[in-house]
Amino acid sequence: MDTKMVIANLLHRPARTIISILAVGLEVGMVLLVVGMTTGMLNETSKRIEGVGADILVQPPGSSFLLGVTNAPMPIKIGDLLGQRVPHVLHVVPVLVMFNVSGGVNLVFGINLEQFKEVTGGFAYHAGGPFTGPNDILVDDLYARGNHLSVGKTVNLFNRSFRVAGIVEHGKGARLFIPLVTAEELSGTQDKASIFFVKCTDPGYIDDVVDGIRQVLPKYEVRSIPEYTSLYTSNNLPALDSFIAAMISVALGIGFLVIFLSMYTTITERTREIGILKSLGASKTYIMEVILREAGILCLVGILAGEAGTVVVRRLFETYFPTLYILLTPQWELYAALLAVAGALLGAAYPALRAASLDPVDALAYE
Amino acid sequence: MEPIIFTSGLKKTFRIGKVDVPALRGVDLVVQEGEFAGIVGPSGCGKSTLLHVLGGLTPPTSGKVLVDGNDFSSMSDGDRTRFRRHKIGFVFQRFNLLPTLTARNNIAIAQHIQGNGFNPHRFQAIVEMLGIQDKLNHKPYALSGGEQQRVAIARAVICEPKILLADEPTGNLDSENSQIALNMLRGLNRSFRQTILMITHNPDAAAVADRVLRMRDGRMLLD
Repeated sequence: MDTKMVIANLLHRPARTIISILAVGLEVGMVLLVVGMTTGMLNETSKRIEGVGADILVQPPGSSFLLGVTNAPMPIKIGDLLGQRVPHVLHVVPVLVMFNVSGGVNLVFGINLEQFKEVTGGFAYHAGGPFTGPNDILVDDLYARGNHLSVGKTVNLFNRSFRVAGIVEHGKGARLFIPLVTAEELSGTQDKASIFFVKCTDPGYIDDVVDGIRQVLPKYEVRSIPEYTSLYTSNNLPALDSFIAAMISVALGIGFLVIFLSMYTTITERTREIGILKSLGASKTYIMEVILREAGILCLVGILAGEAGTVVVRRLFETYFPTLYILLTPQWELYAALLAVAGALLGAAYPALRAASLDPVDALAYE
Repeated sequence: MEPIIFTSGLKKTFRIGKVDVPALRGVDLVVQEGEFAGIVGPSGCGKSTLLHVLGGLTPPTSGKVLVDGNDFSSMSDGDRTRFRRHKIGFVFQRFNLLPTLTARNNIAIAQHIQGNGFNPHRFQAIVEMLGIQDKLNHKPYALSGGEQQRVAIARAVICEPKILLADEPTGNLDSENSQIALNMLRGLNRSFRQTILMITHNPDAAAVADRVLRMRDGRMLLD
């Protein structure tokens, strides 16, 4: 009976009900999208680093773990040194990492294709083939799809036009690859690298090789790939956690305020009905339960709408912005739902208390 | 036999702003179980306030109020609410049906609030007696005033209250529907020995009661 009354009340004011549901959905969607996009991008980037197939990453002293943030390059001959002086090193591949901000934010790997192949096993080409000239570029399939590129088309980076020579399977470090010599020319360096990918003769030697490199290059940042990718969390990115917390607070605030206003106007509008219920002997708990249940149903439908909407947005991103990856996890879906419930309960608490404490005689006389 | 309603020196004063407004100035009233009593009096004489106090909607300011042996002057709000849930039925001038519920659910919600569950036999007997079987799926806005009041009477008696308090039950009805509503109250009183206390400013309506009491200025007038 309570549920019938609650549903009847919600259907009685469809516009208010829909707006409340949308607001809770927006709250849930905002949380899921903000968290999903940040963790998704971090996760996807770390997977791409793993996808290179190296065992160890070497960066210059004092470098951020974020590739492209520090441009201080290392002499390329360090690679030869490591190969000669550290046991169990199979391959050392230099990469000059560049950070492109025109037409989107992207890492560009300046590579020697032959050397890169030694670690990665080579690219899988969807179309086209390797570089044939200094102004050739390889793009991954997601970048190509998102930017409507095909082989032969032009990409403008660093005030230079590059011809798309090949479209490769994604997941090998960066989305864009240019010849190492071109990268050196663009960055005004010679025989320099930003990072070295190191491949061991056997994965069982990774720790030994890391120790060996640290002895040869004591001040350099040397990490195994699992250690390196473990740094790709929001905790390690300056202000990202604060940003996420701020966005979640805004979302929670939206949910709280809309439910509060919705329930407040509801009890104002239904003052007389509350008086009727009291005249029938409804207790304060009963009245509060009716209001909280109403907020609960709005919240539940809003959560479902928000989660469904987020899935739709993710599909749209996959179609139109394939390089922007949104990670939806059951854990955060649960957190977002709990946040929405908390916001709704907080928002409905005062109106429910107010309704419960209405004087029945005054409520019955309410016009 | 102990009366079902007994008041002695019942006073009720409302505080409006900084002014005390006495609504009841010492009401002495005795109603026996199974009686149909009517109270008449002009507007503002305190009839509705008396009904609200006797129904436990508001506490008395002073005086003695015993309803079915319960002393309202010493009961908490929660206790009075519980008492009202089980022992009191209200019929109002403005029907006071819940607008979002059908007639059926308006009646059933009283049983739900009482907590004893839906009693289909009682429900059927009441709706048949009040002649609203074919109106049960209608919402209040689709019912005439007379039909709404019959639904309200059904809701008030569905839980077999000890006392039915009727506040100007014919005030919003035409003469034909007024007569129907009054006949129904009379029928409930005769068929089920339902104790009814009805207030009205209409002497004709009060005439259906076994006994008519008069109020003026917050006090009962002697017969």
